[in-house]
Amino acid sequence: MLEQLLIFTRGGLILWSSCRGLGNALKGSPIDALIRSCLLEERSAETSFAHDAYTLKWAFHNELGLVFVAVYQRILHLLYVDDLLAAVRREFAEIYDPKRTSYDDFDETFRQLQKEAEARAEEMKKSKQAGRAPAVPGKKQGAGGAAQRDAKQKGNGAGGGGSGKDDGDGDGDSGKGRWLANGNGNGQEKGARERSHAPPGSVVVKGKENGGPQAGAFDVNKLQKLRSKGGKKSDNTKPASKGGEPKKIVKKNRVWDDSPSESRLDFTDPVDERGEGIVEAVAADQGESMMDKEEDLSSESEAEEEDEEVEGAKPGAKKKGWFTSMFQSIAGNAIIEKSDLQPALKALKDRLMTKNVAEEIAEKLCESVAASLEGKKLGSFTRISSTVQTAMEEALLRILTPKRSIDILREVHAAKEHGKPYVIVFVGVNGVGKSTNLAKVAYWLLQHNISVMLAACDTFRSGAVEQLRTHARRLQIPIFEKGYEKDPAVVAREAIQEASRNKSDVVLVDTAGRMQDNEPLMRALSKLINLNSPDLVLFVGEALVGNDAVDQLSKFNQKLADLSTVPNARLIDGILLTKFDTIDDKVGAALSMVYISGAPVMFVGCGQSYTDLKKLNVKSIVKTLLK
Amino acid sequence: MVLAGLSGSGKTILFYQLRDGSPHQGTVTSMEPNDGTFVLHSELGKKGKIKPVHLVDVPGHSRLKPKLDEFLPNAAGLIFVVDALDFLPNCRPAAEYLYDILTKSSVVKKRIPVLILCNKTDKVTAHSKEFIRKQLEKEIDKLRTSRNAISTADISDEFMLGVPGEPFTFEQCRNKVTVAEASGLTSEVSQVEQFIREHVKP
Repeated sequence: MLEQLLIFTRGGLILWSSCRGLGNALKGSPIDALIRSCLLEERSAETSFAHDAYTLKWAFHNELGLVFVAVYQRILHLLYVDDLLAAVRREFAEIYDPKRTSYDDFDETFRQLQKEAEARAEEMKKSKQAGRAPAVPGKKQGAGGAAQRDAKQKGNGAGGGGSGKDDGDGDGDSGKGRWLANGNGNGQEKGARERSHAPPGSVVVKGKENGGPQAGAFDVNKLQKLRSKGGKKSDNTKPASKGGEPKKIVKKNRVWDDSPSESRLDFTDPVDERGEGIVEAVAADQGESMMDKEEDLSSESEAEEEDEEVEGAKPGAKKKGWFTSMFQSIAGNAIIEKSDLQPALKALKDRLMTKNVAEEIAEKLCESVAASLEGKKLGSFTRISSTVQTAMEEALLRILTPKRSIDILREVHAAKEHGKPYVIVFVGVNGVGKSTNLAKVAYWLLQHNISVMLAACDTFRSGAVEQLRTHARRLQIPIFEKGYEKDPAVVAREAIQEASRNKSDVVLVDTAGRMQDNEPLMRALSKLINLNSPDLVLFVGEALVGNDAVDQLSKFNQKLADLSTVPNARLIDGILLTKFDTIDDKVGAALSMVYISGAPVMFVGCGQSYTDLKKLNVKSIVKTLLK
Repeated sequence: MVLAGLSGSGKTILFYQLRDGSPHQGTVTSMEPNDGTFVLHSELGKKGKIKPVHLVDVPGHSRLKPKLDEFLPNAAGLIFVVDALDFLPNCRPAAEYLYDILTKSSVVKKRIPVLILCNKTDKVTAHSKEFIRKQLEKEIDKLRTSRNAISTADISDEFMLGVPGEPFTFEQCRNKVTVAEASGLTSEVSQVEQFIREHVKP
């Protein structure tokens, strides 16, 4: 049953709501959540959005700047919503006036449209169903407007269709049956259409009577599906847990040939924190970290590049005559249609993909831009490609602009005032550069007079602890380590306790690289995060990654959310992009990662020495992406 | 005249209140700025020539913050809307936003007057404007010290705020900053209108 249909402007004013007098009576204000997490994140091309107990679907009218949103219970599958939204959009566009702000007369139109849409959906369903035993004749009830449509059908067909409704779409029907009953209550004004007939009446009653068992039937189906899904899941975990076993076996030295076993090959220095040791402490002053240097933006005009693109786009857009389209673009009366946008969008998508943006991200972005441009009037003297270009530029700027503050220093100072150390955890897959960039971040923090402590929670990879120890010695900062084969979560906890004891401001926690599909390792990671609740979970990703970035980030986030013990799971808070110097202008990985996770890029690693850490320059990335 | 503030503070309602005298059926999070040139609703009944006011309501969502920069340079005044009801949890982000605005070069150079408007004062648990003012001053003071500790090149700090060494107060700003109360839903907007009338050139 449709909970509410809302019409509002892009500027935020609600123009009409189907739910009168109750205002926004929905739980949890789902409309605001929709806007914030979906429409503003450029995911407007998706079909629906689920929030709490509701599902939301929407439609735009880009010319008038209106948004139509339908909210309904998530457990129902209403088929007529898309239809209804399109019809409402058409009708409302005719009566819309920018000066008017109340549209009470739309109530009538809406109710009629709703009935028509439901009837249409029912027709479609009936035409799909096979005929079954005729329906049980029930009490006579005056049907609403839908009865008009139903009555037009043959009685047998209606009866057969009515009984055949109980498989699959049972729930939608029970919901619809209920609505029709309600419609009867207050639909009396449509007196002209009131007729009492057996077939439609039985349709209604069937819906109502079987509402109980039908809903039950639906639930059983759902339960079976869940059970099979659960079965599949348990199959997956079994081999993975077996994979976890061999790790516990103590390492034996490898014997390559028959030579007698040699003495221990362990040359690690005895544990020695502020050791003078063999490595001399290199002066930590290698110059200013690039984080603090401002970048110069060279503002080139992009007009020349645009002309080249138009040549490519024009041969595709030859649907209307060339002359008319030129004339219209000059006069500025052309309304943008989807077919016009296709060639320009395809060119844009290809361009994005050559810049190493993941394929599905480029696809979704283009669809979102198309959704926001459809139906708009072209301004005079503009070409479609330039409109698309501007819209895409704005969209990219919006996505890459951080939602939360990326000023780590301010947060560190805030934590300092509370007397607790600020904990940053570096996670990522194997070989992306976590340990190296951890050292760079430590260097940068040191330059701002913040005391840092390293925590060596990579207890798996050989040499990881020594690597961090070397960094700590060169930067002259304390390091907390417990050697290898220890539980990283416990090591991290003890490191944080140690840090609060010796009053370090920041604790940088290094973890082992792990593939996103590796179930036991992901579980260990989420245990570390849950146990220690760090202030910042930084995902380290390399800029060289292509389509895999999408998979990595989404799986990481999903695992962190699934395996979390608290209701508000800690997800990835920020991204550290590494190896940025190895890609010339193929900067698309940044976009893929930000789009899929919603987390901002906090640092960019652009080299292998301590000073090679930068901030992300959003404008230059957008320019490079669209060049 | 620019209306700015955090998402959810009540800017769009105020906009429509000033324009039409009623908030109609409510609002949702704005995705685009609301731009209008009109005569203030309360002045419609007055006789004589009344100059229309150009009011812009900029969305407060962080993704849309760059829109503010488009409108600020031409602003005759800025109304920074603060949610007086739900103030304490949002104190830090509100102070950060206000700090960013107060340190923009366009605001300082042109001495754009700023009115800090405590909205939703019709509710019983709303804070008083004095309390909000003191809290904002304290937060901005903290921001000042942490930003200055960052030294040389900072993110987007274009101007120093206040006098170093002394706790920050709004009197130290070169442009005029005042605090007022209002309630968008019950159309208690007299103080806002006064501010607007003062600063819109006749």
